[in-house]
Amino acid sequence: MSVFIRHYNPGSVYNAKIWRFASTTAETPKLTNGEDDEEFRVLDILKKRDKLQRRAPRKADVPPDRAEKMRTDQKWGDVWPGPKSFHPSSVPLPIRQGYVPKGQAPPGKKANAELMKIPNFLHLTPPVIKSQCEAIKKFCTEWPKLLNSEEAIEKHYPLEIITSDYCHASPVIRNPLSRIVILRIKLSDLKLDKHARDKFLRLVGDRYDGQTDLVTITADRCPVRRQNLDYVNYLLTACYHESWNYEDWEGDKTLQDMEYYDFDMNQSKRNLVNWHLLCLNEENNFSDEEIKLYDVASIPNATEYIESVSSLFNDGESDATLKKYDTSVRKLLGLPDKKIVT
Amino acid sequence: MYSNIVLSRQWARLACVCRYMSTIEGQKLPQAARSSDGISPPPRIARSPTDILQALAATVGTDPSAAHYKYHDDPYLIPQSNYRKRSYALSAEAGRKAAAWIRDEHAELFTMREWDPPMKMKTPYFNADPQIEAFAPKPIYNDESKVTEEDLRYTIQNALLEDAIKVFELLGGVDNLNDELKLSLLQLLCFYNEKEPVSLEWLEERWFSAATRERQSTTWKLGGLADKIFTAMEPKTSEAYSAIIQGMAKYYQAERAHVLAQEAREQGIPLSTTVYNSLLGCVGFLKEGVTLRVEALKSILNEMNEQGLSPNSETLSACLRSISSWGSGKALQTVALQVVAECRQLGIAPSLSAYYYLLCLFCKEQGPRIDILTNIIADLENRESIEATQATDTNFFITAMGVCSDHLQDVNLAERVHALLMKGDNYKLVGDAYKESIYYRHLVTVTCKYAPFEKTTQLLDTLVPNIYVPEPSVMEEIIRTLEVGGAGDRLADAWSQLVVFGHAKRTKLVEKLLSALCNCYTYQDDEVKAKIRQAAADILKFGQLMEEREENEDRRSPTQKLSASALSNIVELCSDTQDKLDPNWSTVENAVQRLRDEQAAGVPARPQILADLAQKAATVGKPELAALAVTYLAECGFEEATAASVQTLGVMLNRPVEEVETLLQEQKASLATSLHPSALAVAQAYHIAKTGAPLHESESSSASSESDSESSSDDE
Repeated sequence: MSVFIRHYNPGSVYNAKIWRFASTTAETPKLTNGEDDEEFRVLDILKKRDKLQRRAPRKADVPPDRAEKMRTDQKWGDVWPGPKSFHPSSVPLPIRQGYVPKGQAPPGKKANAELMKIPNFLHLTPPVIKSQCEAIKKFCTEWPKLLNSEEAIEKHYPLEIITSDYCHASPVIRNPLSRIVILRIKLSDLKLDKHARDKFLRLVGDRYDGQTDLVTITADRCPVRRQNLDYVNYLLTACYHESWNYEDWEGDKTLQDMEYYDFDMNQSKRNLVNWHLLCLNEENNFSDEEIKLYDVASIPNATEYIESVSSLFNDGESDATLKKYDTSVRKLLGLPDKKIVT
Repeated sequence: MYSNIVLSRQWARLACVCRYMSTIEGQKLPQAARSSDGISPPPRIARSPTDILQALAATVGTDPSAAHYKYHDDPYLIPQSNYRKRSYALSAEAGRKAAAWIRDEHAELFTMREWDPPMKMKTPYFNADPQIEAFAPKPIYNDESKVTEEDLRYTIQNALLEDAIKVFELLGGVDNLNDELKLSLLQLLCFYNEKEPVSLEWLEERWFSAATRERQSTTWKLGGLADKIFTAMEPKTSEAYSAIIQGMAKYYQAERAHVLAQEAREQGIPLSTTVYNSLLGCVGFLKEGVTLRVEALKSILNEMNEQGLSPNSETLSACLRSISSWGSGKALQTVALQVVAECRQLGIAPSLSAYYYLLCLFCKEQGPRIDILTNIIADLENRESIEATQATDTNFFITAMGVCSDHLQDVNLAERVHALLMKGDNYKLVGDAYKESIYYRHLVTVTCKYAPFEKTTQLLDTLVPNIYVPEPSVMEEIIRTLEVGGAGDRLADAWSQLVVFGHAKRTKLVEKLLSALCNCYTYQDDEVKAKIRQAAADILKFGQLMEEREENEDRRSPTQKLSASALSNIVELCSDTQDKLDPNWSTVENAVQRLRDEQAAGVPARPQILADLAQKAATVGKPELAALAVTYLAECGFEEATAASVQTLGVMLNRPVEEVETLLQEQKASLATSLHPSALAVAQAYHIAKTGAPLHESESSSASSESDSESSSDDE
């Protein structure tokens, strides 16, 4: 009874609840008086236990999984015709996946979120793929006979246009990313001479990748793919024709304007020719133009020398280029090979 | 360049499934049929936007283990009975309807861009691109709406009949409309008879709508809006006449339709073939008697000829429809055949509706057996594809299967009809849920009756329960077939099927099942036997559960209880065990107790079962049960009671039969003291059976109290 009273005191807030408590438990002490006087009784204000007891377990009258009724010779494509997330009752496979506790098997297929998370390819089994291919074969045309290798394709269709299509769940089927058009072409497939090539590369800038020899032009400034496609085609055409144009001012290019070392235009060639003529005791009164056009191939070992000088200037000083220069100069001048002093 | 694109926020949110495709777009396509030079690609094969999807879909067949795809593929949610199938599908549609209602009521929420900056907020904008008309909110018209002719045109085009009438009234009635709109409204009203149709959007509602048999009565609204509009139209064009005549003919206002047609003819207004078709369809309402009707039909056909109109396939089915509705008989049948023959000469192939009416005319249930179906099916099988052209086309397959089942009783033909229905796209011709169910009822019945057993089980496996749930009558047929085939395993399963299908309360069906189980019990494997016993025990338990529920819920109409024969069948099945601890013994006790308490109708048809039970129970060591069975037998006055009680007592006392008999004859008085209570009860039963009175005359004042004490001793 003391418990009862003590709880009765605290105040008005719990009044109602305590009354309920009082009314239900008032009789219980009398009934169980002799048996468990000692036991500490738990105050259950919210009557949680009662509520739990009252809720009768709902009868789950569930038919067995349909996977159990499946015949072994059924067509799996009919059961799982399209992509969908995993469902244990319709997949007759003892699949397991998930975190493996020590000494136990991985969780089974039922109520397994791990299996539902990952995309499955149950709709794309080899027989299904085969039958689908057969079904859409009638829409396919014959592959052109001569395009039988990658090289042939590259040769006949040098131009490559890359676009992307997007598919997503939304009221809108458009995706702005699909407007982007990428054009790719190998530089070697364009008919360019030395000057045009140089000019083309200057026009294209960093859209040319020297390692793969590919020029990549991307257009995304127009709202529609078609416009972007027209635009990349226009860009390629314009660059190509522009690179063949000679402007007046292009003749003004001097030695200082060169972006690379051209042997023919430099002092080295004059020195080489002069030296060569000196060796032959010939008249040396060439003008600058004549020196430029002089065919150095007649000079023994000159080509190698020219190459090494060019690479020394173009590729920069390194052990390899210097060594090459060393050997080629020795050869040209007829000097003995370098003796390695040990 | 690429990296410069700033993704706007809504795109970043989208879950993008991105397919990367490299194409050789923008390069010239040659025009030759094949690759002319071996380098350029051949021209593209023409195809419609959905051709590839359809080709892919054609590779997917039906899966008998799965429910229809409109249901969730989950054991908890796969419907197993007709009731559930209907309620699940309609519930889902109710949800869709609720969504559509909210969409229409709060249309402004779906046409605004909520993420617009505050200044631009509420600019009309459709979220969808491309905008799909069917998903957009529908306008709501009420008395305050400001409407234009555009609205009327919209409502007419979308067959929103009530809205169209409302807009029509708001626009100021007949006088304020131009002729074109008047005509299209008239056509709409005539087509639907001023009754709002169920929208095409609600597939399930249309599928499950109770197929009320088309009532052949005048439902045309005389003096309705359609009539008013028609009278107000001046001048009355050929189209207006066509619309009103066809409307009247469709809704059985035959006389006025013919009067109007006559009027049009007198005014020299040409009528089309379809108008004549509809007139042909209702010509029978004008005249009485077959000969007069046939004459009227012929006169209309002659008139068509005079007008220079050539008949089409609908003409044929309209004629046959009229003829078939006039009854049967040789005369009508010959007329029908003449019409068909004449149309054949004109190169008109009968449509499914025409065949349907022919079947109606020739294959009467009581009439002589006429096999026209074989030729019809042969004709249809030769056709490349069967197109639905009329609403009545969907009646063909159900009628054909009905003819196979009831009229011809030919399972091979039924299989051909079924194969035809399953061919290609033909399943759309099955009609609605009601027709589909009747179709399968006929198919299953005829297969059960006339097909070999393996074929029947195969068919049942594919159909039941996902495609078709058998009705009680069909279930009975199936149980009979399984019994004849001796498939105890399937019979045991049939009980759970009965529960799932909602037929378990049908006592007659359950009794049939029980007797079938008993009949084929003896020659089953042990495993199957155990299964059958389990099923029998379950039947009894289910019955009790139902009774309890009934008491709790206080139902008005009590379910029928199992008969005594059925209970004794349960007893027979469940008592087939040598093990005293078998849980089925409690079922047996329960059943016998129910018999004893007269909770079952009638008396057992085979009392020998109970006599055997008594002996078996005594052998196993359940004397109380044995005593109970014997007492029941004796009280019911069966002849078997005497022999049974003697034998049971013999087993109990472990003595030969003769000795027991003498014991019972002689030492009447001492028995009461010397015998075990159960044995005493058996002895009592013996005397009741022999003399009609209990052992001791002095104690016989109340037999019921006696039995009470016995039953209480059983409990101990």
